[in-house]
Amino acid sequence: MSILAATIPRLVEALRRVVGADRVLAARGELLVYECDGFTIEKNSPDVVVFPRTTEHVRQIVELCNQHDMPMLPRGAGTSLAGGCLPVGGGVMIVTARMGDIVEINLRDRYAVVQPGVVNVKLTQALKGTGFHFAPDPSSQGACTIGGNVATNSGGPHTLKYGVTVNHVLGIEAVMPDGRIVQFGGPAEDHPGLDLVGVLVGSEGTLAIVTKVWVRLTRDPQGVRTLLAIFDSCDDATNAISDIIGAGMIPAALEMMDRGIVGAVEAAYHFGFPLDAEAVLLIEVDGLEAGLDPQRDRIIEICQSHRAREVRQAADARERLLLWKCRKQAFGAVGRLSPSYCTQDGVVPRTKLPHMLRRISEISAKHNVRAVNVFHAGDGNLHPILLFDERDADQVTRVLAASDEILAECIACGGSITGEHGIGVEKINFMSKLFTADDLDVMARLRIAFNPTGRLSPGKMLPTAGACGVERAHPGRRAAV
Amino acid sequence: MPATQETKTIADVIGVVRDAHDADTPIYPIGGGTVTGFGLPVRRPGIELSLAELNRVVDYPSRDMTITVEAGITMQALAATLAAEGQRLPVDAPQSDFATIGGVVATNTSGPRRYGCGTIRDYVIGISAVDGRGTAFKAGGRVVKNVAGYDFCKLLCGSLGTLAVITQVTFKLKPMPEADAWVICDLPSCAAADPILTELVSSPTTPTAIELRAGGEFGAIPSIAVAFEGSQPEVEWMVEQLQRQWQAQHVEPRVLREREETELAWEQSTRHGVASAVEDGAMLICKFGVLPSRVAGLMQRLVELDATGSFLSQAGNGIVTARFANVGADGSAKFVITRLRPLAHAAGGHVVITWAAAPEQLTRQAIWGTGGADLAVMQAVKQQFDPKNLLNLGRYFFA
Repeated sequence: MSILAATIPRLVEALRRVVGADRVLAARGELLVYECDGFTIEKNSPDVVVFPRTTEHVRQIVELCNQHDMPMLPRGAGTSLAGGCLPVGGGVMIVTARMGDIVEINLRDRYAVVQPGVVNVKLTQALKGTGFHFAPDPSSQGACTIGGNVATNSGGPHTLKYGVTVNHVLGIEAVMPDGRIVQFGGPAEDHPGLDLVGVLVGSEGTLAIVTKVWVRLTRDPQGVRTLLAIFDSCDDATNAISDIIGAGMIPAALEMMDRGIVGAVEAAYHFGFPLDAEAVLLIEVDGLEAGLDPQRDRIIEICQSHRAREVRQAADARERLLLWKCRKQAFGAVGRLSPSYCTQDGVVPRTKLPHMLRRISEISAKHNVRAVNVFHAGDGNLHPILLFDERDADQVTRVLAASDEILAECIACGGSITGEHGIGVEKINFMSKLFTADDLDVMARLRIAFNPTGRLSPGKMLPTAGACGVERAHPGRRAAV
Repeated sequence: MPATQETKTIADVIGVVRDAHDADTPIYPIGGGTVTGFGLPVRRPGIELSLAELNRVVDYPSRDMTITVEAGITMQALAATLAAEGQRLPVDAPQSDFATIGGVVATNTSGPRRYGCGTIRDYVIGISAVDGRGTAFKAGGRVVKNVAGYDFCKLLCGSLGTLAVITQVTFKLKPMPEADAWVICDLPSCAAADPILTELVSSPTTPTAIELRAGGEFGAIPSIAVAFEGSQPEVEWMVEQLQRQWQAQHVEPRVLREREETELAWEQSTRHGVASAVEDGAMLICKFGVLPSRVAGLMQRLVELDATGSFLSQAGNGIVTARFANVGADGSAKFVITRLRPLAHAAGGHVVITWAAAPEQLTRQAIWGTGGADLAVMQAVKQQFDPKNLLNLGRYFFA
């Protein structure tokens, strides 16, 4: 500790010489903001926070961290819901949020080049009127950065049809943990050799620090039909979802909200959702006008065959936008229900959705925790939101127990513990339940190939020795107070 | 010539790799043997590890639109299984009666549909493999959205069996489209394609394939061919739309609608990169990856370099497959290094040799070029997956 205490002032001094005095934070009060991200159950302060503007800044920062033997961790906007930006063990947090330039937009070759700090929605806004957009659209897109999207392989409602971030990244420039600047892939497809872009996306900042991204741009659809289907039972709604996919249709988005979340959303945004409905489906088909009405009619038919109380189409663009606002800001409305919440990100095969929704309700009842659901139903990607008060230790314990049981059920259904939020620190204990020791060993080897000292993002994603131990006991988690 | 060892189970594969690892014997994994011309020739004897008999469908929950298969299943058998449920894996592979799914993944094979449907990496959601030490591992799973752990599904696509022997793969699937059609126009030159290709980028139609073709099976006159898939009304609307668009650009469209005609068009495009699939006396086959906006100019130069060659591009993706009948007196390696690679770099991309009539002349530099800073990272990854460097020894870029 004393070595560290002596090191930090010298490191801070050196970092200030690289990026400027106002771009380094080291005072305890200033660091508080950075002690957690969207996952608030565990907190730990970094020792230093630094804001580079350029790739060269990042390279020099990484070299300084190596010289001072300090752990380092990249962070975008800090919207991770899994503790991806939690500085386990402290160290230097490299915040890329100010690397916010859109470097190039090339419509003829359908790509854009961005710095990692570009906020997701800013790229789509910059493309407005061109007929193109950036397809990944996480609900946090108004705040989250494209660098963060790359780190977690973000999804969003429209990834059902358009794919997740990795399907839209052509190339990455990154600073390696030893300070080398390396370009992987680029605007020309089928780069010779290994697909390291594919493995960097979703690596949660454990392999390299992304400093530039070449993203694929997607044509705007010619037309869109947005439907709202209202059901008196969750089973009917989930069976309708299963049948829509089973009928060979791939809607652009297929989202579900249950009664609990609809109440909160309605109170916040006054859309006119019926408060007594058990489930609401938001279904969107897009593409050529010539094909949309038949698809819409078939979906209405399927919903009605599952006893939908009402199916209605968004009347105009304004109503469609309001519907999507309700969906994307649903998490924000949860504040009306409880002081704190914890959301899970499990995935099950789509035909298992009816079963899984029933199990979530049984599990939350068993642990005496209230759960509401808003999720990407078409992908089988659940987001049960467990409501609690973080000041009550007993509630926290029950929420963690219910979360674990829900994820265990996802695994039992042949699913996964995370569809788009990432492992971070939150689900690190579950890796050994989803993967064998050999699987994890090979993953650890990949990390060694990129990050041999382990100085970059320690204690993340893989339950390696020296991080938190394979079976980290839950009481070790520190609930926020 | 390496000795062939058949495997019928994943346990067999693990056994063969472990024994070879202990005995320091190189291992050359093989599926249907359709792409063995890619990469450097085998120089040290070892075991040819055949996966062709490891070919079961493991699980096909068709209503979830996913399938799990063993690596040795042929593309044709897989397609037939899926077609029975009205589904498909829309990745084109030549010689589908031999080509195995493991081989398609390992070589990142693609064809005309990549513009509209993407490549194999967009469909792999789970993978099992055996690394160079004989350790069986998996990544991903059987659900369509999953970010738990490193994405080896992508890493193993195009790894040519140098990191691990792929044993089992899970794919997400697409519904089979109801209809298809091709719209084709002839051009005075490849260069004349540029404005038409540019217009297609912002066309309201949604093509599955956009091609620029010249020579060989496609005829001496360059042509653009655009394929549409979808419901009957969608395809009809797109065909009419493109006909109007092209007439306004003063080119004369012809339309292929009959199943026999469209199937031949898909087949011709898919097989173009395979040496033995077309009898045209090819000496050298290369694949370029360049900026899509440079395709017309590049194709023009290629036709000028070898008027007897045959050239096909997935123009919307910037992929150009070039079959040369004439590589000049200095041979393929020199031809690529001195003539083709500068063209590729000028077009913002790269070129790789995928087959040569005289493979013994090939060097790493001739096939792939010198590589960038990422080459050292590839080597570090290889070292971790296959510490003794036995998998496809000496055959790939970084090995």
